[in-house]
Amino acid sequence: MQILFLLIPLGVVLMAAAGGLLVWAIRSGQYEDLDSVAERMPDDEPR
Amino acid sequence: MSASALQWQVYDRPEMRDSISAPAGAGQREVLLGLDGMHCGACVARVERLLAPHASQVQVNLAGRTVQFRFAPEIEPLSSILALLDGEGYTPRVLAQDVRINGDRRGAREQLARIGVAVLCSMQVMMLAWPTYGSDAAGIDPSVLQLLRWTQWLFATPCVIYGGWPFLAGAARALRARRVDMDVPIAVSIVVAYLVSAWRVLAGSGELYFDSATMFVMLLSGARFLEGRSRARAAGHLRRLVGMRKLTATRVGESGEQTVPLAQVVLGDVLKVAPGEAVPVDGALLDLAAELDEALLSGEAKPVLHRRNERLLAGSVNVGAAPLRLRAEALGSQTWLAQITAVLQRAERERPPFQQVLDRFAGVFSLLILMLAAGTAWAWWSHDHEHALSAALAVLVASCPCALSLAGPLAFAAGSGQLARRGVLVARPRSLGRLADVDTVVFDKTGTLTRSQPVVEHVEVLGTETAERCLAIAAALERELTHPLAQAFRRYEQNLPAREVRSAPGRGVAGLVEGRRYWIGAADGLSAGAGEAAATLLALRDEQQTLARFALQAPPRPEAAAAVAALRRQGIDVRLLTGDAEAPAQALARLVGITEVHARMRPEDKLEHVRQLQAQGRVVMAVGDGINDAPLLAGADVACAMPQGAALAQARADLLLVDESLRALAGAPTLARDIRRRVQQNIGWALLYNVAVLPLAMAGALAPWMAALGMSASSLIVVLNALRLPRRGETN
Repeated sequence: MQILFLLIPLGVVLMAAAGGLLVWAIRSGQYEDLDSVAERMPDDEPR
Repeated sequence: MSASALQWQVYDRPEMRDSISAPAGAGQREVLLGLDGMHCGACVARVERLLAPHASQVQVNLAGRTVQFRFAPEIEPLSSILALLDGEGYTPRVLAQDVRINGDRRGAREQLARIGVAVLCSMQVMMLAWPTYGSDAAGIDPSVLQLLRWTQWLFATPCVIYGGWPFLAGAARALRARRVDMDVPIAVSIVVAYLVSAWRVLAGSGELYFDSATMFVMLLSGARFLEGRSRARAAGHLRRLVGMRKLTATRVGESGEQTVPLAQVVLGDVLKVAPGEAVPVDGALLDLAAELDEALLSGEAKPVLHRRNERLLAGSVNVGAAPLRLRAEALGSQTWLAQITAVLQRAERERPPFQQVLDRFAGVFSLLILMLAAGTAWAWWSHDHEHALSAALAVLVASCPCALSLAGPLAFAAGSGQLARRGVLVARPRSLGRLADVDTVVFDKTGTLTRSQPVVEHVEVLGTETAERCLAIAAALERELTHPLAQAFRRYEQNLPAREVRSAPGRGVAGLVEGRRYWIGAADGLSAGAGEAAATLLALRDEQQTLARFALQAPPRPEAAAAVAALRRQGIDVRLLTGDAEAPAQALARLVGITEVHARMRPEDKLEHVRQLQAQGRVVMAVGDGINDAPLLAGADVACAMPQGAALAQARADLLLVDESLRALAGAPTLARDIRRRVQQNIGWALLYNVAVLPLAMAGALAPWMAALGMSASSLIVVLNALRLPRRGETN
């Protein structure tokens, strides 16, 4: 069971990363407009 | 500098700045633009590339045809960015910024982030708490058990502090104002559960309540999020209206055309509206004819043809191929657009009376729960310290009156939104309750059951003047009136001067035209050439004789018969009250299927009739055009107006039929009954739940996590029950 002392902190780190990513994505407005992207044509031009 | 770049410079003026953009920190400002000419994903990418060197945080929304970005006015003025977009074929539409709307957007993002964190963390806490439930814990290595406890604390902290912040802040606000609302028991239970558990983690033993606290935060914020979404949807119409307000106008003066801020336009200015642009103010058309899209104002999908001198409404869009000119007649808050926006904003602020009672009740209820929880803890303390806390927490959580306070407003918001989609705007939410009880509907005739634009069908000359001359005199007398009958004479306008015009509703108009006194009003009897019986007869007299008789005909609305039939199917008594003569009233009534007709009624008579019906215990809805029927509408239990171009803010209307269609009306009482039933179900359910669960919690039979689940489920049931409304309505 000693492996839990490694796995649980690892899980904490992963969750922190997932939570941080989610908050960043929401705050930067990525969930604001879910329709436009679907209508976007494949875009090969360099930006 | 090109002409098009000059056109945009008006937006750099300091007096326009705050209505267009909002400060975004670091010397930057944020602006939201409408963008025409954007059709596909490639356009989105192109606009983003165009703006990249000039602006930051560019967000293009293809569905809404909007772009939002931040710019630094010190480095590059907004006008050059606008000119750049315009030059590339994307015509910017500068929208009025509504602080509330943009605040909402940012608030909604933060709310979503809080829910996301709460969901992630509460799942982790639940997972870590699971092995410690019941007897399983006995077999776990004590050091691993400690690890699980500390990790629970770690995950519960962001959930409670970040996810639960709205509840904590709300409770703090309420307490500072020396009130108790439902945030207080929620916050108390979250904080107590969290602090006690944290202390027990440090102490190394004792039951933890992190699972209850996090689950409570997660489920409650979910319910609040759904509630906010349904409110936002109901406010969608308002939002689109606000977005239509124009900020500048093109003024045609002696020195040519000039783009000026709307605040500088004065009455009588001649303004130009290019094809595809919205009319900035209400005004009279100076061109022969123009086609306008009034969809946003009235819901009418087809373009409306307007002739010279007719009133154009701010917010309607010139869909003709040529620019049109108009003379400004109403500015700012006097325009129809501003008035309808004001009516809707008022409706949004008003809370139905029973809701006010319920809010106060929820406050008292919250206080009661706090006392009961304290009492429970005190009663258990002498028996069992451990159980006292868990029972008190269960009482706090289980009996929180969240569902109770959500019950009403949500169903109302969903119902109003549904009515608005059908074309009925609820101007006074308190009328919804009475709408459900309506058993008698009285209609006005002209402009209500018939189209609002009657035409002069026949002129019978009785005096010495020519028909054209008689029509011109009538047009001069009726010039200032908003009554639908007056509109019929507009096209015969020869701009004769009229003075001392007095109108007595239901009796006619008198005034001086070119120095002579004339009178126009209902004519007696039928003349030989009057045509169909459904015509309204008006007579024009001078001081000696009758000069002419006009037969006016307003065709019945195509949907009137179906609407009347639908109302009658619901067992509603339908009546027609009109100031017109018996014969045309009867003819119309036969066409639309009304059997009870009262003709030749003055506004006072109509009001008296409504009073009599009410004395018999009936609940009366009056449908009129809003101005000529003011007394009738004021006397009815529910006043429903179809106020096309009439002064809306003065009209006493509970409901507005915006798309000038009666079709929506027939479904309104049914929907109102549906809303009321839903509210009753919700309140009944919430009360039943609270009453049933309280004794269980006080007896200590509920673990706090069960209470959290039950409480949140109760709130969710109420929310979903209210949201069920729109979908059901659409199938009808």
